[in-house]
Amino acid sequence: MALVETRPVNRIKQNLWDKSYIPEIVRGLAITTRHFFRNMNPDKSQRSTFTREYPEVPTVYPERYRGLHRLMLRADGQVRCVACMCCSTICPADCIHIEAAEHDDPAIEKYPRVFVIDELRCIVCGLCVEACPCDAIRMDGGVHIPPYTERGAAFFDRDLLMERGGLSLAVQGGESK
Amino acid sequence: MPKVTVNGTEIEVDKGTTILRAAAEAGFEVPHFCYHPALSIPANCRMCLVEVEGAWKLQPACYSQVTDGMVINTKSERVVKAQKAVLEFILVNHPVDCPICDQAGECKLQDYYVAYDSQESRLRAEKVHKVKVFPIGPEVLYDGERCILCTRCVRFCEEITATNELTIVQRGDRAEIRAFPGRELDNKYSVCTADICPVGALTARDFRFKCRVWLLNSTDSVCTGCSNGCNIHLEHFRNEIQRYRPRFNPAVNDYWMCDAGRLTYKEVHTDRLLHPTNNGAELNWHAVCETVADKLKRAIDEVGSDKIALVLSPQASCEDLHLARKFASDVIKTSRFYMGGKRDGDSDDFLIKADKNPNRRGIEAVFGSTTAALPFSQLVDDIEAGTVQVVYMMDQYMPVDAATAARFVERLDKLKLFVFQAQHQGALAQKAHIALPVCSHAESEGTFVNFEGIAQGFERAFAAHGESLPHWQIFMRLAQAMGKPFSYTFIQQIRKEMFAPRPDSVASGTAEGVPVE
Ligand code: SF4
Ligand code: SF4
Ligand code: SF4
Ligand code: SF4
Ligand code: FES
Repeated sequence: MALVETRPVNRIKQNLWDKSYIPEIVRGLAITTRHFFRNMNPDKSQRSTFTREYPEVPTVYPERYRGLHRLMLRADGQVRCVACMCCSTICPADCIHIEAAEHDDPAIEKYPRVFVIDELRCIVCGLCVEACPCDAIRMDGGVHIPPYTERGAAFFDRDLLMERGGLSLAVQGGESK
Repeated sequence: MPKVTVNGTEIEVDKGTTILRAAAEAGFEVPHFCYHPALSIPANCRMCLVEVEGAWKLQPACYSQVTDGMVINTKSERVVKAQKAVLEFILVNHPVDCPICDQAGECKLQDYYVAYDSQESRLRAEKVHKVKVFPIGPEVLYDGERCILCTRCVRFCEEITATNELTIVQRGDRAEIRAFPGRELDNKYSVCTADICPVGALTARDFRFKCRVWLLNSTDSVCTGCSNGCNIHLEHFRNEIQRYRPRFNPAVNDYWMCDAGRLTYKEVHTDRLLHPTNNGAELNWHAVCETVADKLKRAIDEVGSDKIALVLSPQASCEDLHLARKFASDVIKTSRFYMGGKRDGDSDDFLIKADKNPNRRGIEAVFGSTTAALPFSQLVDDIEAGTVQVVYMMDQYMPVDAATAARFVERLDKLKLFVFQAQHQGALAQKAHIALPVCSHAESEGTFVNFEGIAQGFERAFAAHGESLPHWQIFMRLAQAMGKPFSYTFIQQIRKEMFAPRPDSVASGTAEGVPVE
């Protein structure tokens, strides 16, 4: 049997002054009051508050933060995604729905006629981004997934996802060189 | 018999065996593109090079035959180097389109690259561009950039269909596959070229962009397109068939199947009857069986059993038919059978048979003779003459011309009772007093007997659509409702009773060993 490791704790003996509580309460209130007035200082740099005035002052997320998805664009504004289904295959939450279709341009061939992500079901793992061979899907916008009041609002379709998309530096097949 | 040593394993093989086959028997894979067991051996891709002790050059394993005492090495340094070189050469102008390529996931080039190459591309020059999405035939699309010029497709059209549509045009890095001038790849087996194309150069139009192959589930089944009963991989995703792919069976269809048969899966998902109905009102199974039992009993009392006709379907499995026979003889006590099923169609001297029903020989096997059932046209006459007043029909097919079929539909109004037990909606379902939904061969298991008398089992792929049930289960429920229950619990019990020798022995006793495709 494994031995239980114990550690003796040196308890501080309370004296009468401590035990009567009153002076300590007064001391505590004094600290709180001091902080209160310090944080009322019109000069914000003098305040010591940690509270962020969200949403008036937005949070700046770290660079690798995984936020809301976006679909990247080709130079001509078309969707980069070629509906290869790598993202929907790897997605552990099974929340990406893609329907592929034939593109008019034979150099592109395949594109997603339907692309819907259920952001509420998404577990924000980022595997879809890793899986994408075309740099077509990203979660790097620095925008977190908003709260929804309605279930349907969590279904982000292709156009909505493209609205937050941008250009990619990666070269893509089928692009005129 | 020659004794050879492959990578240190000594085996004895038949005289004339190629190194590739001998290695496969010894348990070693030799990668290959152009070799296909059903086609001639051009040895043009050079993927299969192996080292033979004593020979100063590497040998193509697909072509070279073994000799006694041969010592073969499929993994030596020289072989590995050659494999890398061949793959690098093939990939020089390959577009690596995998994200949009339907072959991805079942592509030999992908698999071999991962298994034998996996080095980064050293190529910095622009790749040669060729045709893409080229409609080489009505059912098949060609992508020149992906083509590795193995000529499997060309040889298929020369040797299997003997239609000779395809050839290679141009030379060197501009070479491409094309149909001869004025022709296209339109033989009745054209999609087989997409199956045997080791890469995504030939792809089936019907399957195009429908589903990624790694998402498919595959179930062993039998094509219901005609009485040849080609063995298939029924491939499905989320309760829907995505495609049929031929399954190797040298006794029936070898590696092939026809284009028309491939598309028969569409029937499974169109216009299905989903709920049992009584005069158009949906009922549950329990209630509808009570109703049918009640109506049948009354009909028997009123018109007598011999005025009740049972239309047999050669589309149904032997198990279904066996219970149909039992239901007729033990429960309604009629022996008035008529033959349903599809009308005859085109045929050729390869796989396609004129009889478009997969199980006509099954009716023979179950009922003991071909004359057990009267022709369908007779039924129309008998209804008119009043000798038939109740019709119990399996499946909606009518093996008669359109005029007779229309006459039949019209005469249905004269009937006391019309029970319709089928997969599909339509005029008959509308006329039916009782319509009972039946599930397709993809949703049930069973046995078909093909035109040669080979019994072949098929497996259940996914759950039944709606509330449909297999024919045999419906007969069981009805027999129960009519107070004469059958005592089966499993389909195997029906099988045992149906044929003296078990069908499985013929069904799965197909290929010897594993085919090297
Ligand atoms: S982040 Fe993860 S759960 Fe969300 S869509 Fe991507 S793969 Fe699916
Ligand atoms: S992995 Fe990328 S290219 Fe493929 S379907 Fe997803 S977003 Fe589109
Ligand atoms: S043929 Fe194979 S390697 Fe070439 S693009 Fe298609 S899947 Fe990729
Ligand atoms: S189309 Fe396919 S089968 Fe035909 S030569 Fe090219 S790679 Fe081979
Ligand atoms: S050369 Fe042997 S398989 Fe192609």
